[in-house]
Amino acid sequence: MKRFWPQSLKGQLLLAVAVALLIAQAFSALLLYRSQAERRDAAVIHAAAFRLVSSRQPEPRDRPRRHDQELIDAPRSLRLETATQSPLRSGEHHDSRAETEIRQILADLAFPATDVVVTRRTLAHDQVARERVERRAALVGAPRVPLSREVLVAGVHTPDNVWLVARVLVPPGERGLVMTLIGQTLMIYAVLVGAIALALRRITRPLAALATRLEQFAQTRDAKSQLEPEGPDDVRRLIVAHNAMEDRIADLLNEKDVMLGAIGHDLKTPLAALRVRIESVEDDAERTKMAATIEDIVRTLDDILSLARVGRPRDPCEPTELSALVSSVVEEFEDMGDPVELGDMVRVVAPLRATWLRRALRNLIGNALRYGKVAHVALSREQDWAVIRITDEGPGIADADIARMQEPFARGEPSRNSETGGAGLGLALARAIADQHGGTLTLANRYLPDGTVAGLTAELRLPLE
Amino acid sequence: MTAEAPIRLLLVDDEAALREALSAYLARQGFDVTEAASAAEARSRLRDETPDLVLLDIMMPGEDGLSLCRHLVEAKAIPVIFLTARGEATDRIVGLEIGADDYVVKPFEPRELVARIRSVLRRAQRGVSTSAPEDELYEFEGWRLDPLKRRLIDPEGAVVPISSVEFRLLLAFLDHPRQVLDRDRLLDMVQGREAHLFDRAVDNQVSRLRRKIEVDSRNPQLIQTVWGGGYMLATEVRRIRPDTA
Repeated sequence: MKRFWPQSLKGQLLLAVAVALLIAQAFSALLLYRSQAERRDAAVIHAAAFRLVSSRQPEPRDRPRRHDQELIDAPRSLRLETATQSPLRSGEHHDSRAETEIRQILADLAFPATDVVVTRRTLAHDQVARERVERRAALVGAPRVPLSREVLVAGVHTPDNVWLVARVLVPPGERGLVMTLIGQTLMIYAVLVGAIALALRRITRPLAALATRLEQFAQTRDAKSQLEPEGPDDVRRLIVAHNAMEDRIADLLNEKDVMLGAIGHDLKTPLAALRVRIESVEDDAERTKMAATIEDIVRTLDDILSLARVGRPRDPCEPTELSALVSSVVEEFEDMGDPVELGDMVRVVAPLRATWLRRALRNLIGNALRYGKVAHVALSREQDWAVIRITDEGPGIADADIARMQEPFARGEPSRNSETGGAGLGLALARAIADQHGGTLTLANRYLPDGTVAGLTAELRLPLE
Repeated sequence: MTAEAPIRLLLVDDEAALREALSAYLARQGFDVTEAASAAEARSRLRDETPDLVLLDIMMPGEDGLSLCRHLVEAKAIPVIFLTARGEATDRIVGLEIGADDYVVKPFEPRELVARIRSVLRRAQRGVSTSAPEDELYEFEGWRLDPLKRRLIDPEGAVVPISSVEFRLLLAFLDHPRQVLDRDRLLDMVQGREAHLFDRAVDNQVSRLRRKIEVDSRNPQLIQTVWGGGYMLATEVRRIRPDTA
């Protein structure tokens, strides 16, 4: 059902117009049909009445021959029949409305009648009418009348105890009427649709352009190549307002970037001085710890700066051989002596930003090592996706926490114990980087056959196109 | 550079705390350090004496490091190492493109900075960086290596990320195609800034490089092992202009 319901503004409006027009035209068709049916009925009744009245005058012999369809279809009275009993057969219905009218006409013309009966039957059921119609058809050479034609049979009981029976062929219903109405409806619809489509084009074209622009802006967050205001005033205002909002958003984002850049610079320079100064610490163990602390601060700072910038990468995506990238990140960990294992790899090229993806992988592998002791990294291709799986052998994550874990600053333990982890930014950043590439990051526990958790799997899916 | 004469460095950074700490550290390491707080001050110091190498901050008020670097490289032919607080790849490439010899990201490990200073000077002395125009690409078996941007492109046009050690190793092979390079020679050519990483094993690094460029790294075709000798790049190498790429 939903498939046939138009989704666009234009489609819905045109459908509404079509439905409204259909209802209006059906209504007027009904009224027209009723008034015509009444007129036809009156003509038939009058014809029957006058046939009865004219029973006292001789039949005119030389009537003009009628050939054309219009006259053949007109109410046509057949020759009177004189009978000894009422033409009403048992089981047939009185047409009491017609009886009343005929009685009225006869009374007005002072035609003596003691009883009037009127009924309707088809030609097939009226022997007399059929014979007369056929005889006349043979004489005049007129087309055959179908046996389904209705015949109005009116009988008058005269004071001489004779029944005069008049028969009138009821003209068929006006088929042309329906055709005319349909034609008229179609024409009105065509004119209306044209007019509406023209007006709508002026509205929907800028709206569609605006929607496209909005999607593009959501992607790039770049206020360049904005739309020119066009269309009716309302739409024009919308576009102007939208452009102003885009400018403002872009300004805010730029401000944020400048601010974060300044923060980064202002913090890293004194950290650099500090890093140089600790070289003069005599105690080796102490110096190493200091250096590690500074490294932690820098890493957190980098994560914060990256998270703030991840939505607006300045570098474009490039087709990159993913297995080399994954290997090189794993090798960095190997060089540090970390237990990272490179599993199955396939060569697969995907458009991506290597610097960002490296960071995501570093964070995921770092998390696996921190919480799950060891990390296994594998790369596979599944349909249109490159899939990187990082599995560990840790305790996993409680199902309830999995969604929460991917928000900034969320960590598996509520204690925020710095022994077991950084600021919790790593996962949020990895997810944001997956988003940036049009991919996804999902976390899921792995279970052993006996139902205990075997570890956590982080699955990073990147589109190949 | 004789054994006796200390290496003269010019340190340009607007941050007094870093300048002070770093010049004290470098002096302890036996360098002769002159300080400058801005590009303008650096220019006036350069009129009096010519240092062996300049350590240059990128972000400074007034004239920035990039513009001073251009001047140093073009007019004075002095090697430059950038000190940058930004770590994004694009910033690094810009620095290398205008002719800096190397860069370190703040905060850096002081020992690493010293290693890089020595490495850059060694290369400058040997004239390695002037042996071939740096903006020419290497081409082999459909692969391309851009030595400036340190980008390796495979025959299908995809970027193949390699580490800086792998980059130097590949560069050594590409500069000596069809020559057997033994482990000591490779170590000598590749050793530099990541010396502490590299001395793990030449073999390990070669196998990592193979993993990235060989169709089947267990049956290597490009970098072949020469029994008892070392390794050899078994293919032709062409140098091409980037615009023909």
